[in-house]
Parts: sequence; structure tokens; C-alpha cells
Amino acid sequence: MTLLEIKNLKQHFPISKGFLSEKKYVKAVDGVSFTLNKGETLGIVGESGCGKSSLGRSILRLAEPTSGEIKFKGQDILKFNRKQMKNIRKDMQIVFQDPYASLNPRSTIRSILEAPLKIHGIGNREERMKLIESLVEKIGIRKDQLDNYPHEFSGGQRQRIGIARALTLNPDLIIADEPVSALDVSVQSQVLNLFVELQKEFNLSYIFISHDLSVVQHISDRVAVMYLGKIVELAHVDQLYQNPLHPYTKSLLSALPIPDPSQKRERIILEGDLPSPINPPTGCAFHTRCPVATSDCRTETPALREKQFGHWAACIYV
Amino acid sequence: MLLQVQNLQLSLKRAGKFISILDDVSFQVQKGETLGIVGESGCGKSMTALSIMRLLPDKAKLAGEVKVGSEVISKLSKKKLEKIRGNQISMIFQDPLTSLNPLHTVGKQIEEALILHTNLTKKERKDRVVELLKEVGLPRAEEMVKEYPHQLSGGMRQRIMIAIAMACRPQLLICDEPTTALDVTVQAQILELMNKLKQENDMGIIMITHDLGVVAEVCNRVMVMYAGKVVEEAEVNELFQRPRHPYTIGLLEAIPRVGERKRTLGSIPGTVPSPQNLPIGCRFADRCKDAMEICRQAQPKTLQLTDDHRVACWLYDERREDLKDDITRNQESKTTLSH
Repeated sequence: MTLLEIKNLKQHFPISKGFLSEKKYVKAVDGVSFTLNKGETLGIVGESGCGKSSLGRSILRLAEPTSGEIKFKGQDILKFNRKQMKNIRKDMQIVFQDPYASLNPRSTIRSILEAPLKIHGIGNREERMKLIESLVEKIGIRKDQLDNYPHEFSGGQRQRIGIARALTLNPDLIIADEPVSALDVSVQSQVLNLFVELQKEFNLSYIFISHDLSVVQHISDRVAVMYLGKIVELAHVDQLYQNPLHPYTKSLLSALPIPDPSQKRERIILEGDLPSPINPPTGCAFHTRCPVATSDCRTETPALREKQFGHWAACIYV
Repeated sequence: MLLQVQNLQLSLKRAGKFISILDDVSFQVQKGETLGIVGESGCGKSMTALSIMRLLPDKAKLAGEVKVGSEVISKLSKKKLEKIRGNQISMIFQDPLTSLNPLHTVGKQIEEALILHTNLTKKERKDRVVELLKEVGLPRAEEMVKEYPHQLSGGMRQRIMIAIAMACRPQLLICDEPTTALDVTVQAQILELMNKLKQENDMGIIMITHDLGVVAEVCNRVMVMYAGKVVEEAEVNELFQRPRHPYTIGLLEAIPRVGERKRTLGSIPGTVPSPQNLPIGCRFADRCKDAMEICRQAQPKTLQLTDDHRVACWLYDERREDLKDDITRNQESKTTLSH
């Protein structure tokens, strides 16, 4: 069952100063389309500046998208007014990267977790407390720690609290924006396991945004690779990692250091850095770094097409 | 032997009290070898590097011996040490943006090391700077000399840092998370560059990182640290194939690997003990699934398992039974001493 359908979503941020100068935009998200099913995890992976976080935020309308369509449970939420939007946000929540910055240092965990319930007028105090207490136990925080403040917890525990807060309203969709990037490996694996358990228990759908290819592979059912505001490849996780089609995905995977010294591989080392999203290259945005680019790539903008069953790629040579 | 570190002990003053940051850290680096130091945040891996360079806060207490070649540098005066820093030993930090001075051109910052440590003339220095920029793979070297750090990308800035570190052809290069702030594709470029420079100059490298992938990729030997102590050290293949310390085993099981999909990752329960509150016994005991009685009572000794593998864990110490009584007695005398 389709939970979320994104069509040609664009998020352009104006950057020009003064009204006489020519309007310039950062095209953070530039025509992204995909669907997400109930209970499914879609991983979004890409390098810094590729627009993956902007995409997450614009789906929740935390930043107003420039154009496009976001259908959540069959309704186009871009047409919603404030009141309708507040209502639907119960069902779509977000977990942020930095567990230090995303919890109010002056509030106890109890009031942090109660806030979403209060805002949406759910239950009386007693019922709310009951819900919170059963929730924190699931995420591995003790009941008697509820009146502590965020600084009394470690990074991993704080991230658990951030996850609990997203869960209080019993949402259908959680957008997780680099939720384990600030954590050490041993703690990272605890939090990843928690994500998997909670998904099973509450039938959650995740959009899991990360720069870490191995984390994304671990958690996702399907994966979208982004480059300069566009999805360049989208496929089932095994297809994508075993048989990447797009040259960018190929080089990304080959650049990833593998924690096994006995495995020596042929590397595709890309030259240069990600071009600026203010003036993205013409044609295929990847042609400036692509090892197989031809002159056609400079002029022709490749569309994301289904090249194999369920395997989409945006490259004219695939 | 290029670098020899013996029994490094470091304490820092926090809130009026000295707390132990490094305890009995010893290791060696050979010419042309890369030693990886891995561990989680707060394990003391960066502090180990800063202790070698003696780039420590004023109130730090440092003991132990650091030898470069045959020279003991841990006893040198600040003045004399400055002749070595940036010359024989250089360091690269994680964040190239905060390590570079935003007010000076790239050329000037590279030249600084040459002014300090060489007798080159102005003209020779200018040529050398351009040569260095070319060596670290930067395009349009002649123009880049006049540019400022903010005009460059993250990967280019890290290349500039490497050029500064390489300016005096150091024997030892200490890299503290050099690629952590970079994207994968750029990380691959930088790692390749470092390998190339190592081979061309026959340098020793200390690579501090939390990323076991990077370790597998570039290191010859690996040292694993936990809460200020070395828990295991081995040749890189040996460590990945036959990890012995429960912490190392846990770390290797906790990383998600491309090409291998498990629904549940191994994890190590709990968190690292704070340096203010270290246990008397093994520092990993509280999180260790194999912990025994003795682990909580006494710190394990470092055991040389084979020529290229050492571990500090009671599991491999056959004396643990015989030692039991001795240890309790020792501890009693220790506690009376500290009173």
C-alpha cells in the first residue's frame, strides 16, 4: 500500500540580494519523484550538498517546497492549510542528526516527550504519563530517568529520546535525517537495531537519510542515490549494491573503504568535488566528474527511467 | 625504529582535580609503516597524538618517554621541540577549515614552515610552495598560492594541510581523523594521496580514526584503544581475522558492512566509563559479555600472543587463577598507600 507519493518535487532557495539583480537560486531539490509503501524503508544517500536533507524537510513542509506534489495517504498535503497541516503532522515525524541540539536543555525528558501529546490535545495528564512510560521502556530508558535533563544522558541515549519523541503520536512515517552520524560505532549499532525493532512493532515507514553507504544498506529496503538535487538511481537495496547502473553510484560504492583488509578492489577514483548547486553543470550534472562522460552528456539531461524491473537510473548510457 | 613511545601517562586538570586520560600507552612506528589507532570518542586516541607533539594544555601532567630515531624528545625544551615539530614530525587535523588561518593566503601558510625550518631564499621558497601544491595534486598551483582558504573546497583544503605537513619532508606524519569531515569520493582521493606520499618519502604514518574501513584500507598495523588504554595491537590482517579482545570483537561485529546484510547488528551494551570514574579492574569489564570476577578486581596485563599481536585481557592470561590471591593482597596495600 502506498503511503507517500512524491511527484516532481522542487525546493529552490533564492540567494540573490537586492531586487534589481538577477534572481539566483540554489536548486537544493530539483524534480524528485518516488513512492514509499507502508512499512517500508527508503534510504536516501548522497554526499554533502546533494539535497538529501532539504528533501526530508520539504516533505514535512518544514521548508515550503517551490513546486511539485506530495501525496500522503492519498491527499496532496501541499494544498493543506495550517490547521490541516498540523493535524497530518501527527502522522509524519522527524528524527534529527544532532541529539545534543534537538532536545531542549531546560526541559526534563518527561516534558519533552509530553509536548507533542499536549500540542495535539491527546489524553489527560494521567493517560499521557502512562503512554510516555510505556514508550520509554521500549526504547531502553528507565522510568525513573524521566525527570532527568538531556545533559544527564549520553549521545546514544539522547538519540533514543529523540526517537521516542517522534513515536509519541504514533506516526505512520518517520523521516530520519542522519540519525546515527553523531554516534560511535558501538552505540550506532544499538540505535540502528532499535530502528529495526520499532519498525516491526509499529509497522512504521522510514525515509532514512544518510551519507553512510553501509548504514543505508543495512537499514533500507530500497535506496535512492542523490546527486546535486536529483535522484540519479533508485532500486531495491540488493540490486543497487550488487549491480549499480549509474556511474556515480558505481564510483561511490568503489570509494567506500571496506573494513576487511583481505579484500583488495579496483577503485574508481573520481576527480574534483561536487559542483556548486547554484550553477550546476548543464546536461547531466555528473558529467564534469564522470569517468565515461561524452559530449552528449553535456547537452542532454537524462531522465530517471526504469532500466530494469524496479531499477531506475538517470544516465543516457545505461 | 622511527618512533618509540614508552609508558605514556597523561592527566589533565578538570574542575580542580587531575584525571587520568592516558594510562601506560606504549607503541612503535617503523619507517614506511602506517600505524592505525582506533577507538571511540574519548578513548584517548587524539590525546596520544597530541602528547607525542606535546601540544597539551598548560595544566597537563605527562610522563613517559617519546623517542624519535635515537633522540628522546619527551625531555627536550619547548624551543628545541619546535625545531622538530613541523620538521621531523608533522600533524594533520580533522577539520581543515579551522586548522587554516582564514586571513592568510594558502601560499603564505605553506611558506611558514619553510621559513621556520629551512635556509631557502625567498625565490626558492616560492618555487618549493608551487612544487608542493603540485605534489598534493592541486590544479592551477601557481594561482592557488594567492588564494584564501574560503575559496577552496573541503577536499582542496585538506590537500593544503597535507602540503603544509609535507613541506619539510617529515619522517613521521600524524593524521588525526584526516578524512572524517570529507565525503566518500573525496576521502578516497585523500587516502590515495597519503599512500602515494608515504611510498615516495618512506615516511611513517600514524593514522588516528574511528573508521575501521579506513584502517583496513591504509594501515599496516592497528592499535585499539579503550578508555585511555591500549587493549589490543596487531598486524592489520591478523586483527580483522583473529581479533582477541572482546572490545575489538564487539566493534567489528557492530559495523554494518556493504555486501553482507544482517537484520540485527552486534552491539556493545552500555557506554564508555567517564575518566572521572574509572573502575579499578579492566575498564571494559562492565560492558564485556565475557567478564569474570578477576576482571573487576585487577587491570589485565598486556600479553604478547605472537610476534605481531598483543592484547590486554584476562581471558588470555593463564596466570589469572594463580594471581587471584596476590591481586587482592596488592589491592589492599594499594588502597592503604593512597590514603
